[in-house]
Amino acid sequence: MMTTAQTKRRAILAVMLDRSGVLNKISSLIRRKMINVDTITACPTQQPGITSMTLTLRENSDDKALQLVRQIEKLTEVISAKELDIDQSFWREVAIAKFEADSEHLERLGRNFNFEILDRQNHEVIVAQVAGTSQMIDNFLAEIGPDKIIEVARSGFTALEK
Amino acid sequence: MKGTELVLKALKDKGVKYIFGYTGGAIMPIFDEMEKQKCFEFIMSRHEQGAAFMAQGISRASVGTSHPRTGVCMATSGPGAMNLVTAIADAIMDSCPLLAITGQVATGVIATDAFQESDVVGVMMPITKQTYMPLSVDKIEETIHEAMYVALTGRGGPVVVDIPKDIQLQETDASYQFNPETYEPELPGFLYSPVPDRDRIRQAVALINKSERPIILCGHGVITSTAGKNLQKFAEKAHIPIAFTLHGLSAIPVDHPLSLGMVGMHGTVEANRALLNTDLIIAFGMRFDDRVTGNLDLFGGDAKVIHVEIDPSEIDKNVKTSIAINADTGMALNILANDHELISRPRRIWFEQLDVYRSEIREATQKEIDTGIGTQGELLMKTIVTRLSDITGGKDIIVGDVGQHQMILARYYNFQTANSWFTSGGAGTMGCSLPMAVGVKLARPDERVWSISGDGGFQMNIQELGAIMEHKIDVKILLMNNGYLGMVRQWQTLFYDGRYAGTPMKNPDFEAISGAYGIPYLKVTKLDQIEAALKTAAGHKGAFMVEFLCDPSEIILPMVPAGGGIGDMIVSRRT
Repeated sequence: MMTTAQTKRRAILAVMLDRSGVLNKISSLIRRKMINVDTITACPTQQPGITSMTLTLRENSDDKALQLVRQIEKLTEVISAKELDIDQSFWREVAIAKFEADSEHLERLGRNFNFEILDRQNHEVIVAQVAGTSQMIDNFLAEIGPDKIIEVARSGFTALEK
Repeated sequence: MKGTELVLKALKDKGVKYIFGYTGGAIMPIFDEMEKQKCFEFIMSRHEQGAAFMAQGISRASVGTSHPRTGVCMATSGPGAMNLVTAIADAIMDSCPLLAITGQVATGVIATDAFQESDVVGVMMPITKQTYMPLSVDKIEETIHEAMYVALTGRGGPVVVDIPKDIQLQETDASYQFNPETYEPELPGFLYSPVPDRDRIRQAVALINKSERPIILCGHGVITSTAGKNLQKFAEKAHIPIAFTLHGLSAIPVDHPLSLGMVGMHGTVEANRALLNTDLIIAFGMRFDDRVTGNLDLFGGDAKVIHVEIDPSEIDKNVKTSIAINADTGMALNILANDHELISRPRRIWFEQLDVYRSEIREATQKEIDTGIGTQGELLMKTIVTRLSDITGGKDIIVGDVGQHQMILARYYNFQTANSWFTSGGAGTMGCSLPMAVGVKLARPDERVWSISGDGGFQMNIQELGAIMEHKIDVKILLMNNGYLGMVRQWQTLFYDGRYAGTPMKNPDFEAISGAYGIPYLKVTKLDQIEAALKTAAGHKGAFMVEFLCDPSEIILPMVPAGGGIGDMIVSRRT
């Protein structure tokens, strides 16, 4: 059977009770529906005992995406789940990069990007944190140059409706 | 109090009468406490799967009775719990409430591959409504109460409570408090919206009033919400034919003039043709399973769809709805049956058309039933089931296994009593009937219960003859023995050029087996023995077994081939 490439990127925001196993349930539901997850982030909300989770994934079919949202919402621990409208929500991520840069390079980066230096080893190896849109982080890393990057960690998306 | 005492207290507070199970190392403390208190009737199955199907029997048969709805089974850790898996997966497919309590190894050794340790929570999670592992003694009662609430509320389903052995043995301290009377589960995310939206109902009624060729699809939800009477009233008032899903059967008498019988893969010609030509499908408490719809791309045509369903994730899942009513089917039908806007229309052309469908294979079918003998000279299951239906007046309870005989029961038994038909539908678990019938009989002790299996399914849980013997369960066992796995054989006949791969079976001497368990037995090989044998079984006090030698060449038609649309239904055998 031919598989079609899933290109439509979606974000689902779910709010749930902070009970053990709920992440397992959501990820196994997504696996069962044969959807590949791009990113998952979860964090406690202002309300004690309640966690918010942002999932990004690729799925072309609107029906399948809606079905997934409904099945996530059906899980006993999940209080609400919805697909975020891409144009009506903010998507952000954080990256921490370890890279080599001389002071001139660093100065150039500083002119174009907002980042925070977390550590500076031997003056030449920098650990920096940058937050923003996915595109912005991509640009930041491109500007450093792939041959200069030692290691990168990206958080995955967190999102909020306007 | 000790953990074990709290487990029993919670079950007693929920009105549990019967516990089905099998003991072992990690559940021993709970069994020990049961022995001390003697507070439940304990039925020992001979395999944990049997215990879970027995508990299902309680859950399925107690709808509308005073008996508590959720059956309870118990098993030990590791293999004990794993043996429950099939019946739990079966329960979630058939929306059957069920509580399974499993012992687990002590918390100190969990996740160290301890003796008889399995990751029960991990395994059960995708096949249950909810899975729990209380990690302190003061969580036990609350957990069981929440589990029972979740199992039964909204769309039913199984729940598992896995209790580590050390937690079972922990003692509460003086500050422990739990009041079952005032307890309310804290589940802000639990979806349950039983009350139908009035506007949607109004829109639905307008659509129904306009429809020239409507059809009602009566699903399991009509039975579980005890809405058969209101369904009948609604259908009679608006003059709409009714087709049943496998689990919708016995919601109303199946020979009602508006009934078209079962719909779907092995549905009647009239139900399937009606579904092909309808302009409005009104679906109650069902989920448009592939055995109902056939190929979805070919389903429904231009028909509009009104879908009444308690589980919102079922709406628009397989079939796009015109009007979705996410509500308790019983509540929706109560409103619809008494709706003043609903008009009765004769729909003469539609009903004339339905009569044409009805007569399409009527004569040929009747002729086959009357002949009673297949091409290989043995008995036809159709004929046996028709005789059973005649003798019982369709009033007895039928617990079918899975396969050809199940479809034949669904087609030829004249169900008269509300909620009198039990079987494994969604999962299609062979071997369900014998243990399920045990639970059904205990939930409905005053009714006659027939457990009907093929030779394949019967041998899958044959060990439960032991439970039937020990606890003197009065079940009439009918064994349709054709020496094959009949339904697969039928597919092989129709679609695999008659190559019978893995379907023929050399069977044991069932008379000797029956005798070994002290169950009286009759063998039927000839047409004229059928009636007398069934009457003997019916009249006997206690379990009884009748083995019928059935014709392997019998097939059940019509049949919608897998992957085909309902229009591709095979109506008669190519010879």
